[in-house]
Amino acid sequence: MKLSFQLAYRNLIGAGLRTWLNVGILTFTFLVIIFYNGLLDGWNQQAKRDAINWEFGYGQFHHKFYEPYNPFTLQDAHGKFNVKETKGLTPLLIRQASIYPNGRMLSITLKGLPKNQRALKIPIGNLGKHLGAIPVAIGKRMANAANLSIGDEITLRWRDKNGTFDATNVVVATIFNTTISTVDQGQIWMTLEDLWRITGLKNEATILIADTQFKDTEFEDWKYISQDKLLKNINDIIEVERASARIVYFMLLAIALLAIFDTQVLSVFRRQKEIGTYIALGMTRTQVTGLFTIEGSMYSLFSMLVGAIIGVPLFWYLADKGISFGSVTADMGIGLGDRIYPSFSPELLISSALVVIISATIVSFVPAHKIANMNPVTALKGKLQ
Amino acid sequence: MEKIISLSHVTKKFEVGDGYFTALNDVSLSFNAGEFAGFVGPSGSGKTTLLNIIGSLDSPTEGEAMVMGRDIAKLSHKDSAKLRNLHIGFIFQVFNLLPVYTVFENVEFALLLQDVPKEERKKAVMEALEWVGLESMANKRPDKLSGGEGQRVAIARAMVKRPKILLADEPTANLDSANAHAILKTMKTLNKELGTTFLFSTHDEKVMAYLDRTVSLKDGKVVSDVANKDQQVQA
Repeated sequence: MKLSFQLAYRNLIGAGLRTWLNVGILTFTFLVIIFYNGLLDGWNQQAKRDAINWEFGYGQFHHKFYEPYNPFTLQDAHGKFNVKETKGLTPLLIRQASIYPNGRMLSITLKGLPKNQRALKIPIGNLGKHLGAIPVAIGKRMANAANLSIGDEITLRWRDKNGTFDATNVVVATIFNTTISTVDQGQIWMTLEDLWRITGLKNEATILIADTQFKDTEFEDWKYISQDKLLKNINDIIEVERASARIVYFMLLAIALLAIFDTQVLSVFRRQKEIGTYIALGMTRTQVTGLFTIEGSMYSLFSMLVGAIIGVPLFWYLADKGISFGSVTADMGIGLGDRIYPSFSPELLISSALVVIISATIVSFVPAHKIANMNPVTALKGKLQ
Repeated sequence: MEKIISLSHVTKKFEVGDGYFTALNDVSLSFNAGEFAGFVGPSGSGKTTLLNIIGSLDSPTEGEAMVMGRDIAKLSHKDSAKLRNLHIGFIFQVFNLLPVYTVFENVEFALLLQDVPKEERKKAVMEALEWVGLESMANKRPDKLSGGEGQRVAIARAMVKRPKILLADEPTANLDSANAHAILKTMKTLNKELGTTFLFSTHDEKVMAYLDRTVSLKDGKVVSDVANKDQQVQA
């Protein structure tokens, strides 16, 4: 085995430019695979982290009538909860409402969270007190869509617990920036205490958001949605993105492997006498197959080396500084920050290396097997057709 | 004398189009250990085919070829590789040195296949290079050698494992007269000192002059088998 590695190394180095062209394309493929996967992993981690911090927490109890994708359920989707029994849970009350910015009417979702809550990053604690108008928080997307700035007062209209319309002025006290558009677009946030007061739904909630303190419990009239289930959409979107990325890097890998395969097939013709000499000197068919398979696999080992020289500083920089995706990031249906920080885990590096090594080995084995079965006399004469 | 090679009614046919070409036709020969013999004859007479069968690179279509007590036709690929690895050395017309290896490494290769320890290898390789007078060129690459030097490296590579049989296929075909004589002298010396059986395939008269025994072939048949008592060697 050592002899095969040594000989394969010498042959590859001796082949000069041909070797380095193969190594070059394989290195490019290797780096693209790592980059694509690292980017998706980084995006995935960021999207999940932000979704947990801004929307899902560590799991949720939904009121039995609440259907997240059906706004008509909101009117009845609320119920009382016992504060003592719900340690580690933060109540969130959701109601439908309308606002009238600049003479327009906009339907919005009105959400209330306790002022001292820590389950989500919505800056409810910053709302303070305002004379004459209820302070509210909105996201940047909402502020842009409704053309609102901090200090703007708008009329809010909602239905109370009896279904009666009521209206008051609210003032935009804070505008927050989040990657999660589902807590931003068409949403207005106020303290739960204010929402209870204006709707008459005291001690009621639509969702109970779990934090790290929550101990698994069951409540009548509430259905538990685990964090994994809440994150399923993100996982599905990432999986779709990953599938399309796979098509790209499998195409690249196929090109690189084709180059290696071609080189190895060419070796059969160009190096017949050399192969015949190995056999005449006493190498077995298995040893010859091994030698040429190792030679093909060694392209992948060289590409790891070159990939490491180029990739380590490049990926280090990208993981540290992130990649800006500018204005395309806003409406992907999944949290996407201004900058994505790719994540290059050891698992990713090892699995990518294995994909490249194993595929290079497989495509090298096929011509190597042909070589080993060559008649040694024909090989020595260099007459294989 | 120990009989090391025995060919009995050996026939070798090759498929050519719809028919066959008979390269060897009912050849029966035997060689004792330590002989310095050669097959001579025109191209297509079956010299190289005979060497290939003895070297277990090929097998007879009919008849029996026994080499060191082993029936060549019945050897598995692994066993024939082992026979070549341990007991048979080859010298080719075009040297067939491995271009990516140095002279030392080319000679060492045969011992690497036998898993000989490093120190022993080094000693044996240097000794083999001394036999052919190339110890000072151990670190050179084959492309830096002259034709004569290249063939001497090939001799060292074939002899380093001290094989029982050495098969040389037209070893002087690419060499000038002075180099051809130098190489033949070296081989003759090694034959005497190490007791290796040398078998040549040649139509070079310079080689024939060194042979102790000349087997003439024509159209795949042995036409004469003569022991040369008085060699006409010219230095």
